[in-house]
This record gives sequence, structure tokens and C-alpha cells, in this order.
Amino acid sequence: MMRLVLISIPLCVILAIALPPPSSTAGEKVTVVASLTTFRSIAELIGGEKIDAFAIATGYQNPHFVDPKPSFIMKLSKADLFITTGLDLESGWVPSLLQSSRNGKIQPGGDGYVDASAGIHLLQVPSSSDRAQGDIHLFGNPHYWMDPMRGKQVAKTICEGLQKVSPENADYFAANLKRFEEEIDRRTTSWKEKLAPLKDIPLIAYHNEWPYLEERFGFAIAGFLEPKPGIPPTPSQLVKVMSTIRSKSIPIVITSPYFTLDAAELVSRETGAQIAVLATGVGAFDGVESYYDMFEYNVTALLKAFAQAPHH
Amino acid sequence: MRILNLLLCFFTPLALLAQTGPVSGALMNPSVSLIGDMRGVYLDTAARKFNFQFEEAELSLISSIDPYAKADVFISFARTPEGEYAAGLEEAYLTTLSLPVDLRARVGRFRLPVGRLNPVHPHALPFSDVPLASTAIFGDEGLIDDGISLSWLIPNPWNFYQEIELEASNVPLESPLFSRPDADRYLYLVHLKNFWDIDENSTLELGLSGMSGPNQDQKTSVLGAADLTLKWKPLQLNRYKSLTWQSEIFIARYGTEDGGNLRSFGFYSFLSYQVGERWFLTGKVDYSELPQYEGVLERGYSTTLGWYATEFQKIELGGRHFEGNIAADNTEFTLRWVFVIGAHGGHQY
Repeated sequence: MMRLVLISIPLCVILAIALPPPSSTAGEKVTVVASLTTFRSIAELIGGEKIDAFAIATGYQNPHFVDPKPSFIMKLSKADLFITTGLDLESGWVPSLLQSSRNGKIQPGGDGYVDASAGIHLLQVPSSSDRAQGDIHLFGNPHYWMDPMRGKQVAKTICEGLQKVSPENADYFAANLKRFEEEIDRRTTSWKEKLAPLKDIPLIAYHNEWPYLEERFGFAIAGFLEPKPGIPPTPSQLVKVMSTIRSKSIPIVITSPYFTLDAAELVSRETGAQIAVLATGVGAFDGVESYYDMFEYNVTALLKAFAQAPHH
Repeated sequence: MRILNLLLCFFTPLALLAQTGPVSGALMNPSVSLIGDMRGVYLDTAARKFNFQFEEAELSLISSIDPYAKADVFISFARTPEGEYAAGLEEAYLTTLSLPVDLRARVGRFRLPVGRLNPVHPHALPFSDVPLASTAIFGDEGLIDDGISLSWLIPNPWNFYQEIELEASNVPLESPLFSRPDADRYLYLVHLKNFWDIDENSTLELGLSGMSGPNQDQKTSVLGAADLTLKWKPLQLNRYKSLTWQSEIFIARYGTEDGGNLRSFGFYSFLSYQVGERWFLTGKVDYSELPQYEGVLERGYSTTLGWYATEFQKIELGGRHFEGNIAADNTEFTLRWVFVIGAHGGHQY
């Protein structure tokens, strides 16, 4: 056993010194790993044919709770660029995966590390932090990609990251960024027009993950099925929510694909409010294949629920 | 040039440490957390059958040191058999972040990477009764030692996760199977970890471990171990349902003073099913032969119901029946309450 160890350690060190480091060269695609499918989609729209992109979490998975499976370490060990939500949304799984990746390029501070929250104007930044308030986020609400205009800032940050690791394609990425920004501007105008009937309409949500969508499109979240962020709905909270729905004639309860529908269905049965299960990420539902599709899906789902609501 | 870079990786930060002052500010502080483990224990064969005790408080400090390495420190304030509390350094190690060709080194004091259970801190287990085979081979606290390890992600054509870890350590002062001698003899370990995604919701892990080192009789002990873990957790509703089946077997050979060898065998297997969003039900069977005594065996059967209020607090009610051919049979019930305050990161998958 001792001989095995004594032989193996210097052998590994010799291999480490002798073998050339893997890196992307001209003509090779940039390997991008994103924590979420939404950032993968934006990276694909900017990187086009110059990148190969992979996302760790699926679009229908709760981004707070992703298991750091060792198979993801294999992906990260070969990545040229890693895109993370940042803030503290992924603190339970991204740090351990990154540290196990053995890939210095994608560690925080490295050229291949992209914090997509850079430059984002954050909402709901708490003035104090105490877990008695539930799962609050110290740096502000981290679901910023649900605003398409903030998505433009995300795309700009990802573009800068791609330009750093693949400077020979900088112009290509910049041209795609410009196209993305124009497309988002054009589509956001259309989405706002479609959602105009919901302006200033109060809604109920399961979890506090919609402030950016709410701000952009003008509806107002009046309460949550969760009594506190991260705490499952309780009977007393549901009674309170049902009372709010009745008193304010609230038409819609918004929820996400990764929450069970029991609580929302109970509230819907008792009050008539319609349930809208919205896409929180690309790939959340069939047909939601890009960042644009995510908003198209959500606009359609909200309008459908609104049309079916008895009060409207 | 690459040799120079490698050397700089190791030595530049140490050189700079003496030249630059410390950077202050809350953002540069390590992640700090404290884990409390409180228990109420009923043991039917004890003179005083019920005891309530604060079992352990564990303080953890974790931070990147610089772009090249991170540090993990765990200080334990554990209850002694006399009812006092003693502080001890449970783990304190440095892990490299960016060695070339998928290598990673770890230096310091750490839980040795043998099997699935030994590297895990007891508060993270879904039961409070550590398997009999673990305590029989590694001791009550598990096998913790000062040493150095080097692990490598093995490239393979199927691109599944395969990691080999080689480790050499000082030998623990006292553990049933290994014991530090007054001589230049050390403990050596090799662990091979294989991990496969069966499908989106299911994974399989197979680990093989081998260890060799001196024992209390100044002879050599050898251990072979294998672990198998099957997990199922639907991705979309991963907060509500999951199933884990984990088993390990241990085969030990203990060299005796008279030049002979004692062979022993042990295993445990547990099945943990997540009944609902906050509820876990775990059943475990375990069997152990004491490695340094011939013919002494123990069996255990346990069930634990766990309620996880949040990821920062859980309450577990467990019962275990113990049978031994030397020690008296007994039945134990434990109510365990574990809490975490501070910035505690996720556990190993």
C-alpha cells in the first residue's frame, strides 16, 4: 500500500506538469456551463454557433434546492465559462460544485466566472437579516431574470464574459447582443400591451419570486400562500389569503412548476380565483425553449387565467 | 514555465503573507455557523434510564484563502462521558482549487474518505445511532486524522464521474483498528468513487476503499470496504419525495502480537424515504464483528422518523434494538433536535 501511494503521488505531479492545460483555442467552441437554463438560453442567443452550453438545473426545478451531483463536476471541470445567478440564491449547491471542479478558470474572480446579477438593479434588499423572517435573501430578491429588461443587463454581462474567454469572437458576440437587445425591446412592448388589462390588478403568489415581473408589467402581488418565504402554506395563512382574495376580488393565484398544487387548488376552489402556473425558467414546460418563449408562455397563461376568473 | 507556475502557485501566497497587512471588513470574514445537537435518550438497561443532554456544539469556519485554496475548520464542543464539555479540533484542512489536470490536494486534519458514512458529520445523518460497524472499526467519533490526500478525476470515454483519492496520514492515536505507534509507520488509504446518473431522477454511486496501517499490537491492520448508494428524487418536485438506499460492507484483518490475523466483517444498510415535504422515515440494519477480538459480534435494528422544519432545524425520534453475544441486549429511544445558525453550506451529495 505504501509503495502504491509513494509511486502514485509523484506520478500525478509529473502528469500535472507535463500535460498541457486544456483551453479553448481558435476554431474550438467555448464550453459554457450555466447554473440555470435561463442563463444558458441567453448565452446561446449571444454565443450562437461559437459556444456549447449546458445548464445544471432544469427549467422546472426549484433553483433554491438543486442537488450538487458529482456528474455536474465533470461538466464544470471542462468549462471555459460558468454563469451563476449570484446573490445567495444558489449558496447551497454552486460553491461546493465549483470548489470540487478543480477548474481555476471558473472560480470567483477568474475570467471564466460570470455573476449574472452584476449591474442589476435589485428589489427588496432587506434592511436587516434574521432567519425568523424565513428564507430572506441578504442582497435582495434574486429572481431578477423574470424582468425582460433586466435580461438585457444579464445578456450584456454574459457577452462580456464570452468576450473575455474568446476575444477572437468579440465582434460576433457584440452583434448578437445588439440583436438580442432589439428583440427584447420589441417583444417587451408587445408583452406590456397584451398584459395591460392586468395593470394595477392585485394577485396572489405561492412564493415571493415575482417582484421583477410585477414591476415590469404593472400588476401587484397582494399576498403569498407561504406564510414566510420558504415555509410551506399553513391553514391559518390560507384562511388569511382567502379573505384577502374575497375582499379585493383577486382573480389569479400564481405558482411555479416545482410547488405542489394542493394549497393553490384549495384556495381556488374556495374563492374562484384561477391558478396560473408560470414558467420560472427556460424548459419549464414543453415549448418553452428560449428566454423569449418563457415570457410568451407566461403572458398567455396570465391572460388565460384572467379571462376565466369570475370577478373579471 | 509550467514548473515555475506550479511552484509560484504554492509559494507566492506564503511569501506575500509576510509582506502585506490583513484585509479587514465583514465581506472578508469566513462563513461562520454553529450546529447544536441536543438529545433525550432512554436506555432500558441503564441505572438512570432517561437522560437529556446537549450532545455537541460544532462551530464551522469556511472561506477561500486566496485564488488557490480554501480552508475548512470545524471545532467541536462535545459532551464527555463524565458530562463535562471538551473543545476539540474535529477538522481543519486546506483544499486546493485549481491544480492542473483535474487534481485536488487536501492537507490538514480531516475525516478520512473511507466509504460514504465516515466523511459525513453525524448531525447530517438521517439517524442518531451511528452504525455499529463504523464504531467498531473507526471508533465513536469516526476515523479522523492528520494527513495529506491527492484526488484525481479520472477521464474516461463514458464521461461518468470517477475519482480516485490517495491519502497518507499520521495514524489516529486510538481507534479500534488502527493506532499510532512510536515508529515511522503511517496510515495509507485509497478510495475509488464511481457515480452514474441512471436517469434524470435517479443516481447510483459505487465506492471501493482500501486501508493499511499499524494497530495497537504494533502489527498491521488492513481494511477493505465497499459502498453502494442508490438515490431517487424527482427533479420537479424534489422538495416533496425522495428515496435513498445506502449500504456499506467492511472486511478487516487485524494483525496480532503472536503473528496471527483476526478477520472480521461488518455492514450496515439503510433505507430512507421522504414521506412528505418535511417528513423522513428511515430504517437501518447493521452487523459488526469487533476487529480486535475474536468471536465478538453485535447486531442492531433501528427506525427513525425525522421532521425537518426547515433546512436549518430538524427533530428526529429514533428507536434501536441492540443484540450482542457478549454485551447485553438493550433497547434505546432517542429524541434528537439539531439546529444550525449562521451560514452553513450544502452537504456532499
